[in-house]
Amino acid sequence: MNRLSRLARRWLLLLGLVGSPAGADETLHYPASPGSRPGASLVIHGALDLPQMRPLLESFHREHPGLDLRYRNLTTLALHERFLTAPDEADVLLSSAMPWQYRLANEGHARALESPAARHWPAWARWRYELFAFTFEPIVMVVNMAVIERYGEVRSHADLLALLERHAQALQGRIVTYDPASSGAGYTYAIEESRLSPRYWDLVAALGEAEAELVNTTGEMLEGLIEGRYLIGYNLLGSYARERLADHPRLRIVVPDDYALVTQRLALIPRHSPHPAAAERFIDYLISEAGQTVIAQDTPLGAIHPALTGPGTAVHMRRQHGDALRPIALAPGLLATLDALKREALLARWRREFMRRPRRLRGASPHGL
Amino acid sequence: MTRGDSLYRRLLGLLLLPLLGLGSLFLIQAWGDAQRTANRAFDRLLEAASLAIAEQVQWQDDRLWLDLPPAALEMLATDAEERVFYSLVDGQGRLITGNAELPGDPRQGLEGSDTLLYRHIAWQGLSLRQGTRRTRLEDWGVREPFEVRVAHSREGRDALAAELWHANLAMILAMAALATVGLLLAIRAALTPLTRLRRAIRARDPRTLSPLELSLPRELAELRDTVNELLARMRRVRANQERFIGDASHQLRTPLAGLSARAELALRQDDPARWKEALVAMQATSVRTARLAGQLLSLTRLANPEYRPARAPLELNAIARQAVRDHWASCQRQGVDLGVEASGGDVWIRGIDWLLAEAIGNLIDNACRYGGHCVTVQVENAPPRLVVEDNGPGIPEARRLLMLRPFHRDHDELEGSGLGLAIVDGIARTHGARLQLSAGHDGGGLRVALQFPGDTP
Repeated sequence: MNRLSRLARRWLLLLGLVGSPAGADETLHYPASPGSRPGASLVIHGALDLPQMRPLLESFHREHPGLDLRYRNLTTLALHERFLTAPDEADVLLSSAMPWQYRLANEGHARALESPAARHWPAWARWRYELFAFTFEPIVMVVNMAVIERYGEVRSHADLLALLERHAQALQGRIVTYDPASSGAGYTYAIEESRLSPRYWDLVAALGEAEAELVNTTGEMLEGLIEGRYLIGYNLLGSYARERLADHPRLRIVVPDDYALVTQRLALIPRHSPHPAAAERFIDYLISEAGQTVIAQDTPLGAIHPALTGPGTAVHMRRQHGDALRPIALAPGLLATLDALKREALLARWRREFMRRPRRLRGASPHGL
Repeated sequence: MTRGDSLYRRLLGLLLLPLLGLGSLFLIQAWGDAQRTANRAFDRLLEAASLAIAEQVQWQDDRLWLDLPPAALEMLATDAEERVFYSLVDGQGRLITGNAELPGDPRQGLEGSDTLLYRHIAWQGLSLRQGTRRTRLEDWGVREPFEVRVAHSREGRDALAAELWHANLAMILAMAALATVGLLLAIRAALTPLTRLRRAIRARDPRTLSPLELSLPRELAELRDTVNELLARMRRVRANQERFIGDASHQLRTPLAGLSARAELALRQDDPARWKEALVAMQATSVRTARLAGQLLSLTRLANPEYRPARAPLELNAIARQAVRDHWASCQRQGVDLGVEASGGDVWIRGIDWLLAEAIGNLIDNACRYGGHCVTVQVENAPPRLVVEDNGPGIPEARRLLMLRPFHRDHDELEGSGLGLAIVDGIARTHGARLQLSAGHDGGGLRVALQFPGDTP
């Protein structure tokens, strides 16, 4: 496994750049209520920020006050490294790094949960009762109203492509997106989008022509958009964008109506979990109507439970955006994402496409255009 | 026979047992078939996936290169959500890429061409089916061999095999149930004639000996015919008994009537000399009658098939000499020449001495009574044989067998009961000997021979 783990480590470094800009070791601790049975405890490792996790944990702890509940917020990288070195430390792993969670389950590191709630969970949002998707977060574009006012609505990838092709000059350097070479999430989206349509490569070429800025996190993109450095952000994590842009009416969140990837956070119970019963209770809660209601109402994450229909639920988003929503499938295709050669091949292609069209910018072109 | 033994159960057992065995064989076969079919169907996935991967293998930057198609991995997972593993290995067995270091397949494929090997493996506690494709690059200048190994867990194939097997199981069980019901009905139907036969026998009057009239299948018809033969024999025996009783009563009534008449006649007279004369005559008649009764008794006893007296080793020459000595005086009185021709050595048989003496006595008596003047008792060896020959008129061949029947006399006018030869016949049968009637050695007279079984013991 030496070579494999070396590859894995390199990969984790990349995935570690995804999402949460969490500090080294943030924890939440809910001690068991006095007088309850000693020894009943639950350790959750998650790559999910405390503000989003707190309402969930509080609500769960209200239902099970006898549990000594400890949540440790880690980066996806730290979460996986910690799991690989101590597979019997955590009772539940929550992570947005879908390929890695899938790989762990695929290799048999997860424990199956066959509760009634698990059986009723939609088949597309779980894998073998070992892996449960509990959030529903579309990948969105953010467009400054100035662009819309000047060039018209941007509703889809096709609109964006047309806009870039027509007004590349004007938008030069004002577009921002993930750098697939250094961001795991960006790479995952690139691989999924390239599978969805070959026109993705035209979009990459157009982004290259417009000299799009490449960054590593949604946070950086939002920062630049709010500051006005960028007019268009492409492929942002919708849940974060909604939260940050709530009081920026000039920045419009666009869920593309031709297709919009939907990423999901995955929960699993490690096979060597020290408190499997408590872990099962937590997952049951996470996918229960109560837990999902908390997700829909108190977090920007998006609830999957089919019985919930209000704002912030998958049902609601589907009703708004129809078939355009494409949840990333919990399928072996995710394993291809982790293949080192595949990654090199895709990134090589991506770079090639990004550089395909001649640069028009600031006389920097070698051809002096 | 135990109480539980019955033809019905025996047939059912004997037929159900092979049926059960056959059914089990079918089930095992169906299980194997289901496994094979499921494996074949799912091995196609391994084949397609490994091919899809192998097609993407290239030579780039002086090394093997793979642009892994995600669809190749998706192919390996069905609705059963199998775990999926793949690896690309170069000619030296080094891992190029993959999500698991799958073991190589030690088997040799066909040399030089694209080969695909399937097998079950246990990998890190998982039970997997692995497909190994050995092939080589067919690039312009490069002929690099490589191996694509794909594997997936077995939930899908196990589920398909179980489904196929359950379908077969249901069919085989239904067939077995139908066969059992059919068997029950068939055996019941086949045994109906037996019930009819039993009812027919039970319904009969115990005194009737008339044959059973019943149409039956061949096997039972044989039984019916055997029973009918037995009944016919019983009818003949009963007819014989009735005639014998009639004859015997008749034979005894005549001398008793004579005695009665003689006594009555004597009582009318007063002369003691007459009385004495009558008493002498009556004594002679009663002696004859007593002898007749004795003969009837021994005949009845001999005719009883249950009568098995113990037999002892006997020497025939001695028996013959003793018999001649016993009868010599009475023969002499009647002017008959009685002689014995003993065999050279001792002739031993197993028998009852008094019965044989009775037989010889009867034969000598008959010979004297029916006009023989010269009676010879002979003993022959190998086979042991006792012969009484006379030079009387003899019996025509056609009537000889009749003589063996009780109360049959060749000449009614002659004195005698007609039981002699019948008794000899009975004695012969008691000894297991054959009674032969033939003409004397010079063509006249009668020669009666008892041929005993076996040689001298």
